[in-house]
Amino acid sequence: MFNVDRRLKFPSALILCLHYPACLLVMAALSEEVLLVVKRVRQRKQDGTLYLMTERIAWGPEGKDRFTVSHLYADIRCQKISPDGKSKIQLQLVLHTGESTTFHFANESTALKDRDAAKDLLQQLLPKFKKKANKQLEEKNKMLQEDPVLFQLYKDLVVSQVISAEEFWASRLKLSSVEHSLSNNSKQEVGISAAFLADIRPQTDGCNGLKYNLTSDIIESIFKTYPAVKQKYAENVPHNLTEKEFWTRFFQSHYFHRDRINTGQQDIFSECAKQDEKGLKSMVVQGVKNPMVDLLSLEDKTLDEGYGSLTVGPNSSKTVKENSNSAIIKRFNHHSAMVLAAGLRKVDAPSDQASETSSTDGNSRDSDFFQPPIKKVKLQEAIEYEDLQNGSGPKTIALNLKKSDRYSHGPVPLQSHHYSTSQDIINSVSCIQEEISCYKPCLTRVMPSSAASSAITALSPGGLLMQAGTQQAVSQLVPTDVQSELKHLYTAAGELLRHFWSCFPVNTPFLEEKVVKMRSNLERFQSTKLRPFQEKIQREYLSTNLTSHLDEMIQAAYNKFHAWQTRRMARKT
Amino acid sequence: MKLNIEGLLVYFPYDYIYPEQYSYMLELKRTLDAKGHGVLEMPSGTGKTISLLSLIVAYQKAYPLEVTKLIYCSRTVPEIEKVVEELRKLMEFYTKETGEKNNFLALALSSRKNLCIHPEVSSLRFGKEVDGKCHSLTASYIRAQHHSNPSQPVCRFYEEFDAVGRQVPIPSGIYNLDDLKDFGRKKGWCPYYLARYSILHANIVVYSYHYLLDPKIADLVSKELAKKSVVVFDEAHNIDNVCIDSMSVNITRRTLDRCQTNVDTLQNTIQRIKETDAAKLREEYRRLVEGLKEANVARETDIYLSNPVLPDEVLQEAIPGSIRTAEHFVGFLKRFLEYLKARLRIHHVVQESSPQFLKDIYEKVCIDRKPLRFCAERLRSLLRTLEIADIADFSPITLISHFATLVSTYSKGFTIIIEPFEDKTPTIANPVLHFSCMDPSIAIKPVFERFQSVVITSGTLSPLDIYPRILDFRPVTMASFTMTLARTCLCPLIVGRGNDQVAMSSKFETREDFAVIRNYGNLLLEMSAIVPDGIVAFFTSYVYMENIVASWYEQGILENIQRNKLIFIETPDAAETSMALEKYQEACENGRGAILLSVARGKVSEGIDFVHHFGRAVIMFGVPYVYTQSRILKARLEYLRDQFQIRENDFLTFDAMRHAAQCVGRAIRGKTDYGLMIFADKRYARADKRGKLPRWIQEHISDGSLNLTIDETVQLSKHFLRQMAQPFRREDQLGLSLLTLEQLQSEEMLEKISQIAQQA
Repeated sequence: MFNVDRRLKFPSALILCLHYPACLLVMAALSEEVLLVVKRVRQRKQDGTLYLMTERIAWGPEGKDRFTVSHLYADIRCQKISPDGKSKIQLQLVLHTGESTTFHFANESTALKDRDAAKDLLQQLLPKFKKKANKQLEEKNKMLQEDPVLFQLYKDLVVSQVISAEEFWASRLKLSSVEHSLSNNSKQEVGISAAFLADIRPQTDGCNGLKYNLTSDIIESIFKTYPAVKQKYAENVPHNLTEKEFWTRFFQSHYFHRDRINTGQQDIFSECAKQDEKGLKSMVVQGVKNPMVDLLSLEDKTLDEGYGSLTVGPNSSKTVKENSNSAIIKRFNHHSAMVLAAGLRKVDAPSDQASETSSTDGNSRDSDFFQPPIKKVKLQEAIEYEDLQNGSGPKTIALNLKKSDRYSHGPVPLQSHHYSTSQDIINSVSCIQEEISCYKPCLTRVMPSSAASSAITALSPGGLLMQAGTQQAVSQLVPTDVQSELKHLYTAAGELLRHFWSCFPVNTPFLEEKVVKMRSNLERFQSTKLRPFQEKIQREYLSTNLTSHLDEMIQAAYNKFHAWQTRRMARKT
Repeated sequence: MKLNIEGLLVYFPYDYIYPEQYSYMLELKRTLDAKGHGVLEMPSGTGKTISLLSLIVAYQKAYPLEVTKLIYCSRTVPEIEKVVEELRKLMEFYTKETGEKNNFLALALSSRKNLCIHPEVSSLRFGKEVDGKCHSLTASYIRAQHHSNPSQPVCRFYEEFDAVGRQVPIPSGIYNLDDLKDFGRKKGWCPYYLARYSILHANIVVYSYHYLLDPKIADLVSKELAKKSVVVFDEAHNIDNVCIDSMSVNITRRTLDRCQTNVDTLQNTIQRIKETDAAKLREEYRRLVEGLKEANVARETDIYLSNPVLPDEVLQEAIPGSIRTAEHFVGFLKRFLEYLKARLRIHHVVQESSPQFLKDIYEKVCIDRKPLRFCAERLRSLLRTLEIADIADFSPITLISHFATLVSTYSKGFTIIIEPFEDKTPTIANPVLHFSCMDPSIAIKPVFERFQSVVITSGTLSPLDIYPRILDFRPVTMASFTMTLARTCLCPLIVGRGNDQVAMSSKFETREDFAVIRNYGNLLLEMSAIVPDGIVAFFTSYVYMENIVASWYEQGILENIQRNKLIFIETPDAAETSMALEKYQEACENGRGAILLSVARGKVSEGIDFVHHFGRAVIMFGVPYVYTQSRILKARLEYLRDQFQIRENDFLTFDAMRHAAQCVGRAIRGKTDYGLMIFADKRYARADKRGKLPRWIQEHISDGSLNLTIDETVQLSKHFLRQMAQPFRREDQLGLSLLTLEQLQSEEMLEKISQIAQQA
């Protein structure tokens, strides 16, 4: 403790080292808006100008209008800056390939400012690129790998250049992202290491200063774990403090070194400490959900005041040291709870809602007719001896129905008079049962057995009456290679038609353009794929009506297009 | 399955049985047959409760005239509820097997706080508030007032119960606390009073120790329970402390100040009543002259459980004349109070016996022994007469009156210690009068005398012979059962040294030693790296834990532990600790893993189980000796030595080891469970310590695991954990530690089973 105190009296230097994992994809640059221009930046002993654009960073030597250095942001793994107090003020970019480029800011008067401006901007830009690019490519790749049909489609349509890749993905990705969010979160949330604060071990830099190495992961962790700090950050940076000042103060504050008793000095974090305290208190007041660990209601009947042999007086006289010790303990509990909560926050959201709704219909104190079932479950768990019982099969979750009628009938339109309750059904079933029980076969009016059996044979598959209706299964008539080709054609056509129909109603110029394109795509498909296939089956003397349905579908699309076009013409003229 | 226990047909609601359960039932049956008391130790997680219930219920069914009632006492509310649920399972099995409808009535009884359904009253948070509020709605004179003045609020549930509830007995069945509440709501009856009334004719009652051992409550609730009952104290390893606590009194200056206001209120009330309703006081006087004859008759005819606070002499005589009138009694109380105040004005510690105290009080203020003895009874009568609404307000004066009665009744077994200040803060005056009971047998004596069989059972009762001695009773059976295991699922290790060979111990001389603290830290750190899910660590005291945590924090050990697991720490605040516990379980549940730092003798060590992944390792840092410098403890040790010939050291070690065993036993709750038990103190290796651990732990400590270094511990633990992580199926257990009915009936197995029980 003493050590920490002594050290912190000296100003501490701060190094920010931003660190990002590898990223893969290059995004095509669309526009090149220049965000920042820094003059007098040296690269390989050559003076020049540094440009930060929307998608890349570039440097051109003085007097020339082309860039000799240009890196897409997506290629950059991290940036590093020279420590304060060094004579050269530099910024280094490390690429994923391992190469690095160093820029030396040479403008004596403003070098530091220039560098920081560049650094700050990069710091904002880099994370965006890393995530976006990465995720999309991965997702596409994954989808193609997982879904052979889609892969085939991709080959049929994109590789053979019926439609462009972007068009192909345009509708797919949206679809998939919806699917994904429904089934499983596309990206698993990574929890926070409990020891993230331990990773910021301060190091002495040799001249009575302290260095804290902060990575963006750590900053993220701090923000996630202590929302109060995040709020402070948002409030104060950059209007009141620079980022560096903010973190310097953070590490100097009583908040970070909670074991020190508050000396009364006001810092911006004292409020955070109070907020934390409040949060902790509210957590405590809320109590615990699991009755088996609720120490408050553990004792049935406590001894009355004054009885008992051990009466440790209310800790009236605690030394300063003891106080600081209990502060540490509180802090650890709080820290662990926050870390745990930060990891679960995402997952918790829906379940929280559920518990809220359940609490409205029964958890309130007045009406605990509806005892929180958690208690029952925990009790049952506690008395269970799994090895004494014969296997009770896999555990199932009981269906909890508020209205069983609704479950068995499904959602029905609101015409209530058609609605038969389960009582009705039971009644009618019993009615039928009654009728069956008093059913008496009328033996005189029965068909002779020979006629009956001939009727049955006639109606069986392959029988006399069934012949006309049975279409010989396509699978038996057509060779398998043709079959699979036909299948591919169907999916491809389906995909194209889906694109086509999704343009309707055509109400934007973009859609207009698209629908025209889609029609030409369809035509192309028909000429390059469908026709050859039709010719092929003709050559092999197979019935042409194999493709008739495909033709019909495409024809329908043409008709629609035609109708739309004539209407548009009419409107134009 | 259906078992034949020496000719008794026992329904056991499972398809398989552990051999020790069978053995346990045999011993239990012998105890019941002999109509005597028993002490039985069986490891937790071997299905003690269900064995007990199965056998006693079968016994009750077979011999309904011999055993009429089972009184099952447990310690915590969750425990009570668990017992009732197991009972429900048993009864369902009965119904299934015999096809008869169950005609047993079994119910749980708990305090008003857990049973009240009155919307306003039940929303109060603390038990005392609930009791007070309930009393203010249900007291007899309140209800009398309600008759004349309907605006006086009363509890409609109680009224309804009082009107009709007693006529029709509650239908037979199993009633847990929630079932009672549901039933109460349905009928509109007060579940608490219903339960209290129903325990008189119930076949099985499950409630907490206090209802039988605390004379104040036992007198209200349990005094009419039938003599032919079987009483079971489960988790009874701490029963002596419960007895002592219920009989000890502490008086501070604040108590006396509040007493003063109580006395003033009494005086005013008497004055007022005298002006308005003198007849009432006269009536009371007449009653007192007649004495407590009625109570005496009842006790003689064997209806009531005797009350240690209401000595026999009191019953046989009339209340002495000097305190018979209300005014005289209040004057008497005043004098007594002034005397106590004077006694608290001291500057040095005083320790004296009850006779010395009585002599002194006689000399100083001329208070005789006899009226003092009637004090509690007299005050009760007065409070009733004066129609005091809020009894809770009068708890200080009630406390004083109990003290008066106890001190004048028992010349032995109690000591009076007056301390002017706390040891730690000699400058701050905070005088306390401790009137402490040193003899647990006083409180439990009525129970042993009254009921035909009392069974004391727990997972940790070693050494068995000490309980009969300190509780002063003669058991007919004493047995300790081991846990038959198909795989050794517990791994006790005694760590005596750090890797630097420095001995690890929490003994007083070395506990502040830096090397010891660091070694403890390293042990926890190393374990956190290899043990999956949850680790629970216990310290010997809260102060010790605080100091260690602080120095671990300074040395950066905690930070390193955090790389492996989250850390949660018990605090003195119960609500905070509950939250920490829940978060701890959450962290174990979601795979992150966590460490809980806790305190032996604390609430966690006594009431919370760490089953399966909630506790894969328990580390006991140090030997949890009780704080030996306290004067109360010294007096008690002296008493034990003089009265029971138990040496001080023996008792202290016994006490420390039962708490250590309790702590480490928290992790093993069944045969499919497994866990490491790490005793981190050199002293555990000694025979006198080791020998006092329960047999089921002791027999797994090999000579090779006695004085390990941290590295060796880690190696052994890794090996153990790897083995335990292998799949464990029923077939592995069958025939060894799990039996089918056929296996149970074989000669060979019966031979084996007879060895499981070790008679003490």
